[in-house]
Amino acid sequence: MGALAIKNVTKSFGDTHILKGINIEIDAGQFLILVGPSGCGKSTLMNIIAGLEAPTSGEVHIADRVVNNVAPKDRDIAMVFQSYALYPTMNVRQNIAFGLETRKVPKAEQDEIIARVAKMLQIEHLLGRKPSELSGGQRQRVAMGRALARNPKLFLFDEPLSNLDAKLRVEMRAEIKQLHQRLKTTIVYVTHDQIEAMTLGDRIAVMKDGVIQQFGSPQEIYDAPANLFVAGFIGSPAMNFIPCHIAEQQGVIGVALQGEGEPVFCALPPRLAQAGRVGQAVILGLRPEQFDLAGAGNGVACRIRIIEPTGPDTMLFSQLNGRDIIARVHPRHAPQPGELAWLAPDLGKAVLFDAVTETRLS
Amino acid sequence: MADQSKFWRTVIYGVLFLVAVYYLLPLYVMLTTSVKSMDEIRAGNLLSLPLDITFAAWSKAWSSACTGVDCGGLAPYFWNSVMMVIPAVAISTVLGAVNGYVLSKWQFRGSEVVFAMILFGVFIPFQVLLLPMAQTLGVFGMASSISGLVFVHVVCGLASTTLFFRNYYVGIPDELIKAARLDGAGFWRIFFRIILPMSTPILTVTVIWQFTQIWNDFLFGVVFSSIESRPITVGLNNLANTSTSVKEYNVDMAAALIAALPTIVVYVLAGKYFVRGLTAGAVKG
Amino acid sequence: MSTTTHSAHYGFAERWLPRLVLAPSFVLSLVFIYGFIAWNGYLSFTASRIMPNYEWVGLDQYRILFENERWWVAVQNLGLFGLLFIAGAMGIGIFLAVLLDQKIRAEGVLRTIYLYPLALSFIVTGTAWKWMLNPGLGLEKLMHDWGFANFTFDWLVNPDYSIYTVVIAAIWQSSGFVMALFLAGLRGIDDSIIKAAQIDGASLPRIYWRIVLPALRPVFFSTLMILSHIAIKSFDLVMALTGGGPGFSSDVPATFMYQMAFTRGQMGLGAASSMMMLATVAALVVPYLYSELRSKRRG
Repeated sequence: MGALAIKNVTKSFGDTHILKGINIEIDAGQFLILVGPSGCGKSTLMNIIAGLEAPTSGEVHIADRVVNNVAPKDRDIAMVFQSYALYPTMNVRQNIAFGLETRKVPKAEQDEIIARVAKMLQIEHLLGRKPSELSGGQRQRVAMGRALARNPKLFLFDEPLSNLDAKLRVEMRAEIKQLHQRLKTTIVYVTHDQIEAMTLGDRIAVMKDGVIQQFGSPQEIYDAPANLFVAGFIGSPAMNFIPCHIAEQQGVIGVALQGEGEPVFCALPPRLAQAGRVGQAVILGLRPEQFDLAGAGNGVACRIRIIEPTGPDTMLFSQLNGRDIIARVHPRHAPQPGELAWLAPDLGKAVLFDAVTETRLS
Repeated sequence: MADQSKFWRTVIYGVLFLVAVYYLLPLYVMLTTSVKSMDEIRAGNLLSLPLDITFAAWSKAWSSACTGVDCGGLAPYFWNSVMMVIPAVAISTVLGAVNGYVLSKWQFRGSEVVFAMILFGVFIPFQVLLLPMAQTLGVFGMASSISGLVFVHVVCGLASTTLFFRNYYVGIPDELIKAARLDGAGFWRIFFRIILPMSTPILTVTVIWQFTQIWNDFLFGVVFSSIESRPITVGLNNLANTSTSVKEYNVDMAAALIAALPTIVVYVLAGKYFVRGLTAGAVKG
Repeated sequence: MSTTTHSAHYGFAERWLPRLVLAPSFVLSLVFIYGFIAWNGYLSFTASRIMPNYEWVGLDQYRILFENERWWVAVQNLGLFGLLFIAGAMGIGIFLAVLLDQKIRAEGVLRTIYLYPLALSFIVTGTAWKWMLNPGLGLEKLMHDWGFANFTFDWLVNPDYSIYTVVIAAIWQSSGFVMALFLAGLRGIDDSIIKAAQIDGASLPRIYWRIVLPALRPVFFSTLMILSHIAIKSFDLVMALTGGGPGFSSDVPATFMYQMAFTRGQMGLGAASSMMMLATVAALVVPYLYSELRSKRRG
């Protein structure tokens, strides 16, 4: 059963086209992430789902009902905002109760709901406080409590963690995930943070310039990005892009990689090694972890320019085919800056993009 | 180095203190003069302390001084001002609040034009309105009445009150309105339950500002009132400029202080908000 | 994307209520401000005297106005008063603001003292200064008592100097306002800029002159705007202090307009003079508002 379906939704202000034909469908209980750089249209899309803005064309379905002409309050949705949007003059209890009150929920039932939600989010001791007396994390919880109290069909989260510091963000991320697993609710979650997108989502829609670049599971998006933009946006440090030409040597199809010394010919895996592509200009996409340190004489000799130890891994900054690359290696064998290292690319999981269209070659 | 900076700080404090004395001097002169007798005034000078404090001038200013032909003191004028200022402040503040709410949170096509129109009203020299207003009030039988003055003050105060509230409400995040709408609240419910409870500071600023402006107004008071409806500023001006044989400066000063008292009290009690109103009035859009 | 959108899904009430709520004020200002300006403009082209008389006389009233010696005295006085008042209030106000910005211990008290005149009516100020500056028992007597036997101060009754008494009283009343605006501006300046300049070795007066005050240009312009606006509108103070006298030596356009329209039965002339006031204000304000709005749009 479709919990949310967005069909051919566009949004324009005069000549500015914010959304250019968005199509998304998710099932009940799924966690949908809308991710993209700022200005990509994700917040507008969220507002359209909420009914706070109207689409220029297209349809929004919530629980198999077209809601284009349904007021936000009648869409059976709840929203958690980036700024939390807690009513500053009301205490936590009143904040949670406000929506119930306007919906004329009987007082006894209100109290019951507030107690349940407060317990679930461990904010029982905060019920009498004003928002200004709460920490960022507590405000976040109250905002979620306000949304939960309504028990809606659809939860909307608009960059809810952006105002928190790094440590709290990780904690709240885990809590949101846990909440979702426990309540099995349908969630739409807007973020510009690709780590949040990867860790939280069942389905991710990567957006740019009002267009969905790719819609899929986190692993699909990570392993098989649809184009250069998605490949570069998801993953940190970003995927390395190495321009090369597909060539054939002694019956083997592959690409030449050049570091400090002579070019080294590396065979492409069978799924990419198609005879018809020989001679084509491509961009080879290799994630930093797809490099290994090899013994002298194996792999490609690269001059290491900078090393960045992160603790568990060490990042090596070097160049391949004239482009800056980053390799993620085990710290134990990490070379020193200025040294020559032998990097062995693992092309088994590599991806190729057309150098012109920038889309992935299957 | 330390000596030098100490020297300069002493100079700064000295200058600031002298300026403070300069600002306070007129108040001091008004107060001391108002409790002196005319004989003492003639004998002493501006700065001499009152030797024999008497409140005769105050009581005369309040109840029996002559303002032109009638000699009933300032009391009737004072009450006229009270009767005028309360409804005028209340109405203009309420209208300003809802206007500001609409102009900041419920914008519609054309609302910016309305705002620009109202904004320009802050700058208009009211002299251009006097003649048509006098005609119109006459037609509606409100000429020379307190209700006429209230009306004029509401019309001319709308620009400032709207501007105050609009600028304050622009600072309230739109997300709050969105959240309330998702919670099922409508236009008035959002206003009364969420916006209005947040408005105490700006309400105070506006009420104080309007009170001071309207209480202190002279132009409308002198143009649109008759003997029965004149506000205190007109009373004071008439009193001080009535050419009697002997000028009673002590009565003049007592009258000036009576006219100034309400706004000074407000200033002392809520000076912070008064200053905020002044800076907000500096049109920072 | 962050702009308030003309969002859909407002119900009928939500769509029309805002317009309905704004309507009374819109109508009030449309009719009683803009309509009246037009009406007043029309009056200035008529032969109205004590009562409105809608006989069209073209620019006659303006011609009479420009040939009127009293009007030119009023205009001259406004120029003189405006210039001295603005310069004086600005100078004193900025000076006080800079001094108060030096982490002064009694700042709150001092600020309160500098600002209280603003809470007073100009009529009160005028009455008080009239007493202090009066030639018999006021300042003159004080100076005599202090031993300056030859001191004379008759500006209040001297046609050549009466307008300067208005300047003195007006500066006394309004310089605190300038101080408040600039102090707010100074407080808004990033401390690190001053620290950086100090590390660069600049002296404090130099820092203020070269870095801090130039950063307050917007405050300067809005203050200038407000002061010139106060100057053009000033009416109460003149009425209370000099009544425009002696003779009409301290008249300003506002008192001129009042005299013509309401005591001399020269309604058409009064209307014409008020239109000139409006034109002056508009000439100042419109470019200012325009640049304000434009810079905001850019920002």
